[in-house]
Amino acid sequence: MRKLTNRAVSVLIIAALVIIGLNLYILRYIDEGREWAMAFSNLNTDSTGDLMDRNGVVLASLDERGVHFNSDETIRVSNYHVTGDAWGRTSTGLMVNYWGRLQDFSLITGSTNSRTASLTLNIDSRINRAAYYALAGRKGAVLMCNYKTGELLCMVSTPAMDPIDVSAIPEDGAFINRCLSASFTPGSVFKLITAAAVIENIPNIDELSFYCEGEYKVAGVPIICSGEHYTQTFEQALSNSCNVAFSQLAIRLGQDKLLRYVKNLGFVDPQKLDGIPTASGSFPTEFIGDPELGWAGIGQSTDMICPYSLLRFVCAVGNGGVLCEPKLVSDGKEPVKSRYLQESTADKLKQMMAYNAANHYQGSLNFPGLALCAKTGTAELGDGTSHAWFTGFLDDEEHPYAFVVFIERGGGGLSQAGPVANSVLQTAVHG
Amino acid sequence: MDLFGTYMLNLSRVVLIALAIAILVRCLRSMLREHYDPEVWGYIRVGKEKLPIKHWENIIGRSKAADIRIDDTGVRRVHAVLVRDDKGAWRIQDVFGRGKLWVNRGYVCSASAELRDGDVINLNGVCMRLQDLPLEKREDLEKKRIGVGKNLSPALTLFELTVFQLFLLLQHALSAKPNALPMIALGFGTLIVLEWSCYNAMRIIGRLGYEVETLAFFLSTIGMSVAASSTPNDLYKQVLLLIASVALFLFHGWWLRDLRRSARMRIPVALFALLLLAVNVGFSEAVLGAKNWLEIGGYSFQPSELVKVAFVYVGSSTLDRLYRSRNLISFIAFSAICVVALALIGDFGTALVFFVTFLTISYMRSGSIGTVLLAISAAGLAGFLAVSVKPYIAQRFSSWGHVWEDVYDKGYQQTRAMSAAASGGLIGKGAGSGWLKGIFAANTDMVFAMTCEELGLILALCMVFAVLLLAFFAVRSARQGRSAFYAIAACATMSMMLVQMGLNIFGSLDILPFTGVTFPFVSRGGSSLLASWMMMAYLKGADNRREASFAVRPVNKLRSAQPPAKVNQHNEGAKKA
Repeated sequence: MRKLTNRAVSVLIIAALVIIGLNLYILRYIDEGREWAMAFSNLNTDSTGDLMDRNGVVLASLDERGVHFNSDETIRVSNYHVTGDAWGRTSTGLMVNYWGRLQDFSLITGSTNSRTASLTLNIDSRINRAAYYALAGRKGAVLMCNYKTGELLCMVSTPAMDPIDVSAIPEDGAFINRCLSASFTPGSVFKLITAAAVIENIPNIDELSFYCEGEYKVAGVPIICSGEHYTQTFEQALSNSCNVAFSQLAIRLGQDKLLRYVKNLGFVDPQKLDGIPTASGSFPTEFIGDPELGWAGIGQSTDMICPYSLLRFVCAVGNGGVLCEPKLVSDGKEPVKSRYLQESTADKLKQMMAYNAANHYQGSLNFPGLALCAKTGTAELGDGTSHAWFTGFLDDEEHPYAFVVFIERGGGGLSQAGPVANSVLQTAVHG
Repeated sequence: MDLFGTYMLNLSRVVLIALAIAILVRCLRSMLREHYDPEVWGYIRVGKEKLPIKHWENIIGRSKAADIRIDDTGVRRVHAVLVRDDKGAWRIQDVFGRGKLWVNRGYVCSASAELRDGDVINLNGVCMRLQDLPLEKREDLEKKRIGVGKNLSPALTLFELTVFQLFLLLQHALSAKPNALPMIALGFGTLIVLEWSCYNAMRIIGRLGYEVETLAFFLSTIGMSVAASSTPNDLYKQVLLLIASVALFLFHGWWLRDLRRSARMRIPVALFALLLLAVNVGFSEAVLGAKNWLEIGGYSFQPSELVKVAFVYVGSSTLDRLYRSRNLISFIAFSAICVVALALIGDFGTALVFFVTFLTISYMRSGSIGTVLLAISAAGLAGFLAVSVKPYIAQRFSSWGHVWEDVYDKGYQQTRAMSAAASGGLIGKGAGSGWLKGIFAANTDMVFAMTCEELGLILALCMVFAVLLLAFFAVRSARQGRSAFYAIAACATMSMMLVQMGLNIFGSLDILPFTGVTFPFVSRGGSSLLASWMMMAYLKGADNRREASFAVRPVNKLRSAQPPAKVNQHNEGAKKA
């Protein structure tokens, strides 16, 4: 019997494992319990609170019975990716990311109740609605930010949904916030990044001239341009969006240098908007050779960027190279500022983008009354379709707005994304 | 909630935690801290030494682990097994059958020889004499043993549990819908009536060890709270099942009183278990992946739960039989069939529970770590083969450790469980006031999280410690058990419950893969409750503190074969004279 009962120690081993597991859980609970309790799916709160836009329009409110959304359907739908829904189906929605701000937690009492906590956003729901209408059912993204304060005024992604409509069948990709959670081929808007690198690395750039007859070959591989631009300056090459000139410049810079700029300017690694992680981008890191580098320098090849990263870029250019990190939630704090580009680089880019808008996008005609600095992009996807991009900012002390408009497989940048930008900017400037 | 309600809620929180801890501490002290004397059934006299025989099954040998240790180089480390049966008849058997054992000069080969009081046992030249204790002597000795409940009144512990139940009912009254409240009150009322009538019945037959039942009722109380919170309209089922469970517990305990009957029924029980599993594999319906439900007349039940009880029964064995048939092959085959059948059903969690129980039993029976390692590697190989042939099995566990990366699909239940558990804090949101109960399987697979949410982490831990306490008690009782049958059964039961509890808790909290097994006593569901209660009978069977367990025949009821033995002895004495 003793021989046998000595072996009962095996039961104690299992018991010890259970105890170890419990300790592990307790440690985790102390460490991560707050995070768990703050998860949006936790319904243990009697907190009441409103989620308001910058004008005090209530987008969503929380009371004992749950979440309620604005009564206006277009407000609900155009702000879908801002508020999210009660099921937390969009990962960027504030229901997911800011639920915790509506409740309190302590290790002893768990989630505590009965707190009134309201959250005011920098978003302007009117601008969001205008952007939503301007996209007119196309898949796309519109971002707009005050580059002097970092206030994010507009964030719309389509297709969107009505957050209160449980039974709606979601359109393909409706849960994805194209502003933050996806990356796309940038096409010619990428030339802004190449240009920034060129300005800082090729000192006599304004003395150079570029010759384009619509196509040229690098090591036998053709690089095709959208037109025949003949002799042009650097400034003219950007406004012509000349592939020949920019691929040559990219090759001259070299892959390493260009990659360093793409990385340092935040186009590769995920960024954070008020703690909400954004999608990462890509630029070739393996050696690719000159022809492919030529294509990569003009935003083709395997380049991908997230619209939000581009917004940060144009914000910094508009603000003389200093980036005020965009903020979704208004908390009254000073914006976080950082040196993003050299001031001279930013000024040079601004000047070139102003030249673009005035001379090539018929600024006074297409964008009446706006001091626009901009760049278009038409990213060829190789199947005959293209992404339409339009990005830039207003050089206007009173309306310092930077923006990114993106339409997935939308066609030409100026013809498709341009009018969306105009309509959003007009709403922002004139109300 | 109004001010009065808030006050009552806070009061009940404090009281519940204090009472739960008090109940556990009282049970702990009386189960583990108090000293209990062993039973003595006779003596072995070697020279001038008088070695007590403390069990019904004893190993005589030179080894330190021998029950009757004879420190003489002539004696082998494990030499002979000395067995006493229910009827008081002694037998002795050479462990290895190598012919180094004589009784009264008679040569004992591989079979066992009957022994009587005064018989001489010759172990390879070392002689000793068996001294049986007549009934009167044993009764005298029994009176000198410290009885259970002398220092810690079981009635007071039970009273604390009753107050605990009333305060839990109060918490439910604060949150439940008015039309559900009478049913909930009936549920807790049934618990109180059951535990006190059971206690009184035990007192009437003179049994005072009531810790196992108290802990089982404590766990069932939390189970009742879980059922009242999640499915108040179905509560009558839980009440009926609880009554049936306690009845089956009493029956099973009574059944185990007779060692010979218990041991003889192992094969029929094994066949019954296999039949249940066959029916399960053949006819059951798939409920979310696992085909472990069987529906009979509107009631669904899980046959695998009853097979658990049978598995422990079949795995247990008396010591002499253990040495007689030294291989485990028939038990290994039985276990393999059970585990494979469960895997076929898709109930991997229960299959794992069975497998670990199999390891405990086979280690206790063989003492060979090699066997255990072999079994583990064989199971690992089988698992690897299964996964490579049917990769979808691996997918079921793919979210393990990454549940927060997929909170809408694969990590849905676990992330909900974790945020609900955390939001309860240490003291809970109040019984019936959680939201996790609305999530599928909250009251079974995620019951630990649900308890954390509603009753708080402290009470949830108390619930775990109640099971741990039962396990420690099983190990302690096993050391003084009459027969290896009870010792193995008690230890196997508790390792089964521990594994099951571990998988339940840690699966829902993403520390282990989520397999969906029940928490003994607490998870809602009849078959699980039935099985948990029936298994408690094994613990009662092993508990032979003085006048403690109804499942152990008291010393004064064990007489039968004594007189004829005495007559024989007289005859022999006469001859010698």
